[in-house]
Amino acid sequence: MPIEKTNELVLEISGLHFSYPDKPGVLEAINLRVMAGERLGLIGPNGAGKTTLFLQVCGVLRPSAGEITVLGKPVLNGDFRPEVGLVFQNPDDQLFCPSVHDDVAFGPRNMGLSKEEVEVRVKEALSAVGCSELAGRPAHHLSEGEKRMVSIAVILAMRPGLVIYDEPSANLDIRSRRRLISLLQSSAGTILIASHDLELILEVCSRVVLLDGGRVVADGNPHDIMGNDDLMTAHGQEKPHSLVPHRIPHQG
Amino acid sequence: MRFGIDQYPYLDSPLHRWDPRLKLIGLMVLIFAFSFVGSLYLLPAMVLVTAIVYVISRLPVSFMLTRLRYPSIFLLVVVLLLPFLSGETVVASIGPLDIHREGLVAVLLIAIRFLCILTVGLVMFGTGPFLTTLKAMRALGLPAILTDMALLAFRYLHEIGDYLHRMETAMKLRGFRGRRFSWRGLKVLAWLGGSILVRSYERSEWVYKAMIVRGYGHARPPEDEFRADTTDILALLGIILVAAGFVVGDILL
Amino acid sequence: MHIPDGVLPAAVCGAGYAASVPVAWYSLRKINQEQNPRENIPKAAILTAAFFVVSWIHIPVPPTSVHLVLNGLLGAVLGYYAFPAILIGLFFQAVMFQHGGLTTLGVNAIIMGVPALLSYHIFRMRNIGGEADRIKTGIFGFFAGLSSIALSTVLFLVILIYFIPAGLDVEVERSAIYTLALAHVPLMFIEGTFTAMVTIFLQRVRPLLLARS
Repeated sequence: MPIEKTNELVLEISGLHFSYPDKPGVLEAINLRVMAGERLGLIGPNGAGKTTLFLQVCGVLRPSAGEITVLGKPVLNGDFRPEVGLVFQNPDDQLFCPSVHDDVAFGPRNMGLSKEEVEVRVKEALSAVGCSELAGRPAHHLSEGEKRMVSIAVILAMRPGLVIYDEPSANLDIRSRRRLISLLQSSAGTILIASHDLELILEVCSRVVLLDGGRVVADGNPHDIMGNDDLMTAHGQEKPHSLVPHRIPHQG
Repeated sequence: MRFGIDQYPYLDSPLHRWDPRLKLIGLMVLIFAFSFVGSLYLLPAMVLVTAIVYVISRLPVSFMLTRLRYPSIFLLVVVLLLPFLSGETVVASIGPLDIHREGLVAVLLIAIRFLCILTVGLVMFGTGPFLTTLKAMRALGLPAILTDMALLAFRYLHEIGDYLHRMETAMKLRGFRGRRFSWRGLKVLAWLGGSILVRSYERSEWVYKAMIVRGYGHARPPEDEFRADTTDILALLGIILVAAGFVVGDILL
Repeated sequence: MHIPDGVLPAAVCGAGYAASVPVAWYSLRKINQEQNPRENIPKAAILTAAFFVVSWIHIPVPPTSVHLVLNGLLGAVLGYYAFPAILIGLFFQAVMFQHGGLTTLGVNAIIMGVPALLSYHIFRMRNIGGEADRIKTGIFGFFAGLSSIALSTVLFLVILIYFIPAGLDVEVERSAIYTLALAHVPLMFIEGTFTAMVTIFLQRVRPLLLARS
């Protein structure tokens, strides 16, 4: 469902803090505003707090302080907000139904949609990821690439306004990764992608946020941020190959 | 990892096409009727009925033979022991050991009942996808907790099984053969078991999170995906009649 | 520990199912009284699968190797979820591996499930006299493991030998039960030790898993 690139504020995070009882300062003073149609890449070392942040945006975890607003409505812990979808790092965690069809239908069913509407959503979502023929298969009969695509379909079926991808290209072979990138590039909605795959971020995202030690360290143009040697190395990152100036030109 | 019961779920046979709920009820009733039989005279009829059911199912004979191979080992133990141990009427002797008639009768009864019940069981669960069977049980009224647990358990059984296999390979490659018993060896295996539990527990926490992100716990319309037609119902009545025949026959004989 | 199909008279099989119903009902009731039944279902379900897999581990016991039953460990970790877990486990075994039985599902559930629930209570006793440390966890883990397998073995042998359709006389039955039970004693010690080792491991690595007990 295409979203017009308006000036609509899709996600607003203000003054967010998060701590676990045995681990303080997981996230500190997070402020973020994401407009409709933006493709935001979130980079940073493991343990920076990216997944924890996402779980709060979806209402699974409750912030220790601060506010999250999605599409104008505040997110409360325990809410079911189908307008936000989170594609987990490990597809096996998200494919828990007997068959692909059931998994894709799970979200729409919980939204209270009619049987016919659920079927429409399932067909639409599976075709959007190019996996229509997998509908009858059980999840454990899928390849890694197929699991990844289906785990995206289960979220798309809810027609969310904001989709968050947590390390989507992990464990994918080259071909599946390319399919994923095409899918992300052709999506018209608002997306947030956390990834160590900096080339993917370069290809897909129009804006990058660097998160380290639970804080936003940088927010802006991907080339500026990821091309900044000192900034990247200071936070455990490396410049993606595409941004490394070539002293030795490629052959051919 | 393949759990073989699912091997032929999509053949075309009357049993594959039977409404799964009625199939479960009908064949279960038949199985119980078999277990009721105590009279030797009904055994040939049992074998005949079982054979007919199996033939109609179009499942290959090889399937039955492979599936019955290991369970039959138990039969062997019974066959070897009972005729010598139980009963009073001696019919033959091997050296100092007497073979008793009652024991032989018992062996025959157990063996035929066992094989017939297992074969009908193969038909019951082998003529459709296992997951459809579970859904049928839910449709028949099994509490949601049990069916939800069973579906989830089945889904992750394969992953966890694969994990065990990888861990055992990894251990072997580091020299742990596990062929001789030792307390240290037992501890290593206990740690393996423990780590399987911990990993599964952690996975379940993520699965729960994934479920609530997609609205788990919110009202769901009841799923009615099974529809029985007249043929299905007639087949059920037919099978129940056959089962009743065995029960009545056994009481009379 | 599983009684196969075809051995027991239909009446006993029926009684097994009949007895399973109240035990299952009671377990489900206890489960619904918990704080967060919804959250615990995925955990219990995936752990059920995990226990199933753990029981596949070969324990070398010369001359062969055995698979442990582990219903004591199941009870210690899952609490009242142990009974539905055992029902599901037995069902899977009967359907997927033709191990155990369909008519005897109820009987087997009682043989394995009731001792598991008892083990849960035995294991919980580790909390008596203050927070359970590794030693208490190990000791009560051992007894939880040992008692459940001992009880299951006795139930199994008694039911099997009394109801086998043959004219076994009382003397033969009694001596059969005694000898077979005695033969299982070393295994009981192994199960108890294994259970203790696993519970100590869990206490050290992921005490949350044992939070119920």
